[in-house]
Amino acid sequence: MVLTVLGPLAGRSFAITGKHKLLLLRPTNLPLLRLSLPLPPPQFSSSSSFVSVVFAAQESNLSVSNENETSEWLMQDFYTLRKDVEIASARVEEIRASAGLEQLEQEIANLESKATDTSFWDDRTKAQETLSALNDLKDRMRLLSEFKTMVEDAETIVKLTEEMDSTDVSLLEEAMGIIKELNKSLDRFELTQLLSGPYDKEGAVVYITAGAGGTDAQDWADMLLRMYMRWGEKQRYKTKVVEMSNGEEAGIKSATLEIEGRYAYGYISGEKGTHRIVRQSPFNSKGLRQTSFSGVEVMPLLPEEAVGIEIPEEDLDISFTRAGGKGGQNVNKVETAVRITHIPTGVAVRCTEERSQLANKTRALIRLKAKLLVIAEEQRATEIKEIRGDAVKAEWGQQIRNYVFHPYKLVKDVRTGHETSDITSVMDGDLDPFIKAYLKHKYTLAMASAVTN
Amino acid sequence: MIRIFPSLRFTSLLSAAKPLCSYSPAKSSTETNSLSITPKTPLFLRTPSHATSLSEVWKWHDWAKDLASSVEESSTNSEDVLDSVILHRELKWLIEDSIVDDPLVILHRSEIADNGEKNVKLRASLEELYDLWRQRIEKRRPFQYVVGCEYWRDLVLCVEEGVLIPRPETELIVDMVEELVTRDEWFKKGFWADLGTGSGAIAIGIAKVLGSRGRVIATDLSPVAVAVAGKNVQRYGLEGMIEVREGSWFEPLKGLEGKLVGLVSNPPYIPSDDIPGLQAEVGKHEPKLALDGGIDGTDSLLHLCYGASQMLQRGGFFVFETNGEKQSKMIVDYMMSNDLKDCFSDLKIVSDFAGINRFVTGFRL
Repeated sequence: MVLTVLGPLAGRSFAITGKHKLLLLRPTNLPLLRLSLPLPPPQFSSSSSFVSVVFAAQESNLSVSNENETSEWLMQDFYTLRKDVEIASARVEEIRASAGLEQLEQEIANLESKATDTSFWDDRTKAQETLSALNDLKDRMRLLSEFKTMVEDAETIVKLTEEMDSTDVSLLEEAMGIIKELNKSLDRFELTQLLSGPYDKEGAVVYITAGAGGTDAQDWADMLLRMYMRWGEKQRYKTKVVEMSNGEEAGIKSATLEIEGRYAYGYISGEKGTHRIVRQSPFNSKGLRQTSFSGVEVMPLLPEEAVGIEIPEEDLDISFTRAGGKGGQNVNKVETAVRITHIPTGVAVRCTEERSQLANKTRALIRLKAKLLVIAEEQRATEIKEIRGDAVKAEWGQQIRNYVFHPYKLVKDVRTGHETSDITSVMDGDLDPFIKAYLKHKYTLAMASAVTN
Repeated sequence: MIRIFPSLRFTSLLSAAKPLCSYSPAKSSTETNSLSITPKTPLFLRTPSHATSLSEVWKWHDWAKDLASSVEESSTNSEDVLDSVILHRELKWLIEDSIVDDPLVILHRSEIADNGEKNVKLRASLEELYDLWRQRIEKRRPFQYVVGCEYWRDLVLCVEEGVLIPRPETELIVDMVEELVTRDEWFKKGFWADLGTGSGAIAIGIAKVLGSRGRVIATDLSPVAVAVAGKNVQRYGLEGMIEVREGSWFEPLKGLEGKLVGLVSNPPYIPSDDIPGLQAEVGKHEPKLALDGGIDGTDSLLHLCYGASQMLQRGGFFVFETNGEKQSKMIVDYMMSNDLKDCFSDLKIVSDFAGINRFVTGFRL
């Protein structure tokens, strides 16, 4: 793994060495105040915690005991910094490892050789596409190198400080700045890498259905609903149960949960699938071990105007719940449910939460479109027409996670292998480790398939 | 400003059709005036002047849920039963309409780490909520009367006893008009009439699709309906487009003979003999005036057919709701019979979403 990071890193090190030399010229007994003089005065009060220390020193820079106190303060700050650098370093390491650097290099090399091909410009559109893909990859490569450079710079400062018998405030401040900047870039990078789907930024609609198995499964569906509501609240998303159909004895037959907030869909879309529970049935007097299933479907919560697809009327089968009998004036039932089926794909949605039929129809149509868009994206189809109907038949798809309450406690994701025995926290909405593990897993898969393609 | 005309009895050319107009005599004795009627305020528009502890509301909610769940066991008549799934949904809506706070504090109690000491603001006293839900289940009072409103298309309409609750099937009338006026701008310019408007639902729906130049006259014989329709028109700020007039069918339209571009109506069409067997919510609570269509249910419809021939201008459109199947066929036959021969073209029977031949439409020749 040969990288071009040595260049900028060397330059950086040089700069630091320069400062280091300067530092060495400094008489060791000089109060700290002098050193911080190059800092512009207006920034003193707010730029960092060091500054306030400096002020303290300024007020009583003649007192020796006070100077000791100051260095103690500084040591604390230094330890914090060192810890931050260690964390950032691990994070950079992790991101670089999961980004598949070798694959990335290989891909860049492939595209570059393509671009030098004599026939490259024969197909202009294709050539443009290739070049923009190449640029994207190079950008990502550059970012990954930058992260390494930045963290190494910070590490160098920490090391230098450790070796020296006194502390250079401006240098530590620089390291702090680097780490702050780096963490921001890493956050941004992670987000764009892991959540780069076209709808990832949107809110989400989570549809939970109890599987076969009566009350146990319906109770399980209710537990899942609660889990996702808790998760949403922890993320400070706005959650709203818009539709719920209660089970006969306990639990729910189905529920629709809307989660509003940035990236809600990106995070939670991986929850789609069948969730399996193993426990002692609370609804069975013998307390037998019972396995139940519930399905989770996730769709982006798209604003009406954002669903920019038109579906031909003849492709839609819209059915309304019949009030029964003669209808019209003869019957008055507040039954306004609407079901819309997309005939070519067999994808169907039902909407019951609104109080009028028209409102249910409008909402059902938005939901159907969102669902079709997601399926189209999964199948890499550019148009709804291209969706292969046979491939969308499986209702909730594969089993994705097991929740074992008995005879031992374990939550394990089938796809990522991520597991925990703290089942209570998971049911309380601590889903982030599972979600992150899945996003990484998905990313790695996408990278791998990008290379083989 | 809504101009509500007190009932005036004309001796118009339309009085020739009097035998078909079964409601005129009822009016002659007392001179009712819709202006003296103040429509009830629906629950969701009331001021939240009641504060109750959350735990008391939870107690009510538990009671209401139990009552809703118990209905199926106690009922013996399989034809006309309350559906507990629908009742649970209605209960949720009742809460939405009566509580100021997020209804979730009631619906998802298990999610709230609260012992219920907190006060919530209600738009009705807890006592009234107990009473309302009891009326819903024991008296079979229609849910829409309980909350005082009906969600219809994209509208929320005030309704109360004495006014027919608009049905989802009727939403289609507005769809048909919308399709027509989008296709042909001519229909946007002239007068439309909605006869027997009830809550004003169709008139408001049509006014909204006509655009700013639209003019709709909505009539009803019932002073309560006229008052409620007026209130609904006002709520949607359509006073400039819709005029609500009190009177029997075409009577309030004097002077507009041959001038209407459109005529719509959902008249009473249930045969008298069917009335006693209706679903309790309908038969026991909704106004007979808006349901009972005479022996075969066509009394008002036939009168409307005749009136359409007089009131519509050439090319004018009409749509009437019917009891379906046989009845719609009868209406079409009548319109092609000797009396009205050569009056109409493109007569069509349009079915509702349940596949029942619900509507008759056509154009004045």
